[in-house]
Amino acid sequence: MACFNRVSPALVEILNKLQSGESLTDFDHNLYEYGSVRYNIQASASSPQIVNLSTWMPPLSPEFSSVCLPDCALQDVKRVYLDSAAVVEPSKQGYMLTLRINFAELPQRKDDRTKAISEISSLQAVIRSSQMKDMLWNLEPRYMGNGMSNPIKIVHQLKEPFFVIKMLEKTTVIYPMRFKDDTDVVLATSFFQELVDVSNSEAHSKAPRCTWSPIPPPELRGEPFQYLTTNGGFVSVEIFSQHIRGTKADNTVWNLLTFVSYVKYHVKQCTRGFIQRKMRQRQESLTEVIRGARIRGDEVCKKHQIGDHKNVKKLMNFSRSKMFKKKYTIITNKIKKFHFRIRIKWLLHRFRRQWLRVRKIPLLRKYRKLD
Amino acid sequence: MATTLRLYLTCIRNTLEAAMCLQNFPCQEVERHNKPEVELKTSPELLLNPVLICRNEAEKCLIETSINSIRISLKVKQADELENILAKKFLRFLSMRAESFQVLRRKPVQGYDISFLITNYHCEDMHKHKLIDFIVQFMEDIDKEISELKLSVNTRGRLVATEFLKQFI
Repeated sequence: MACFNRVSPALVEILNKLQSGESLTDFDHNLYEYGSVRYNIQASASSPQIVNLSTWMPPLSPEFSSVCLPDCALQDVKRVYLDSAAVVEPSKQGYMLTLRINFAELPQRKDDRTKAISEISSLQAVIRSSQMKDMLWNLEPRYMGNGMSNPIKIVHQLKEPFFVIKMLEKTTVIYPMRFKDDTDVVLATSFFQELVDVSNSEAHSKAPRCTWSPIPPPELRGEPFQYLTTNGGFVSVEIFSQHIRGTKADNTVWNLLTFVSYVKYHVKQCTRGFIQRKMRQRQESLTEVIRGARIRGDEVCKKHQIGDHKNVKKLMNFSRSKMFKKKYTIITNKIKKFHFRIRIKWLLHRFRRQWLRVRKIPLLRKYRKLD
Repeated sequence: MATTLRLYLTCIRNTLEAAMCLQNFPCQEVERHNKPEVELKTSPELLLNPVLICRNEAEKCLIETSINSIRISLKVKQADELENILAKKFLRFLSMRAESFQVLRRKPVQGYDISFLITNYHCEDMHKHKLIDFIVQFMEDIDKEISELKLSVNTRGRLVATEFLKQFI
């Protein structure tokens, strides 16, 4: 499952179940997502309309680790869930944030209600985006030097860290790309080349500029060796102020956070699946050719057609006249049954038994004992 | 079709037509055994000289003939890494489904990407000219499929990249 969707599908399912009132008992459910994000959902049977949703996620960067939620993230959460949920303070023990959802306060229309639940389910995306924004916007001066910050390691997904370098006029995000399979490396490399081409094209002059290099870029000089060894090279995305202006900021930050998942989804799910489909089609056409080469090819082909599921429809497709003929024979057969000889015989036999019973006559040849 | 490819395929077709005159021939070494001589190579007098037809260094076809069987091995063009991966994947995909082709060898001859083994039984069961047609069409289709796949992968990549960058605008 691709983890670049803002909405958590598991959370949506649970909240939908709770809001429909399916569970009549006390509900306390723990949920782990993507190996690091933890949710706790609590509801009581006495007030099923109220649900407490608590969440915990590891810090985005080890350099900016904190146990509780930063202030700006809390403000963002309050702003986003103003109509649908309330922040409970203090949050549940062991969790960063607790939201109280009152289903009675959610919109009554089905579409709006679904939308509100999806919005609540994207809690992780809201927190992550605001954490990242906070980190970039309010970078402390100690991280800045010569107009360029030191690379900040960000871990959105386990084992897939990336680096953010803040400069005066732009922010560069560098992704070390690692793949398990050689095929994936080749497919991803061709994708990166396309990405670089598209970002440099005139039509996308307003989009962030992307570059790809098989060796670590100079900005990462001095970083531990383990982060600089990759098989898919390094993708750099340059973000300018226009990309994080106003409402765009949330989207931009989320896209940057989930870039690695996006690429992996494209490579693994889409491209490889597409190649497999195409290969299967070509195999079928080639098999047809070899089947046609057989001397008794026609008979074999017919046998195959009967076995094939695809051709069942073809065989079932009769013309109208044939269908009419078939129905006609069924009806005539039924009429014939009424006049069937056996049935008449059986009736006659019954009639004879009842009305024309012949009485037994004692045999004339029988002797009578004489006294 | 490119002229060079047409010439290459015509040459292969003509060679196959000449080479495909197979007959039933039991093994000379082991009694009641009837094996493809081109595979076992037990008696040199039953083997013909192999014919190697090359379009270029990367594309070639080896035709090995014997009295009761013929082995055709192909090396497919792989211009870059992507083509190499696609060709490898596609030919592996076909080799794993060799039973549906009857004449396809599960493992290619060393140095080649895919091999066919046609025996006298195949020739009895199938039309000879159609069998040759199949080999030639297979070669054409492989080339076509790999080129199409490469193009599609690049096009898809471009579309995905465009969609990604659109989100920032």
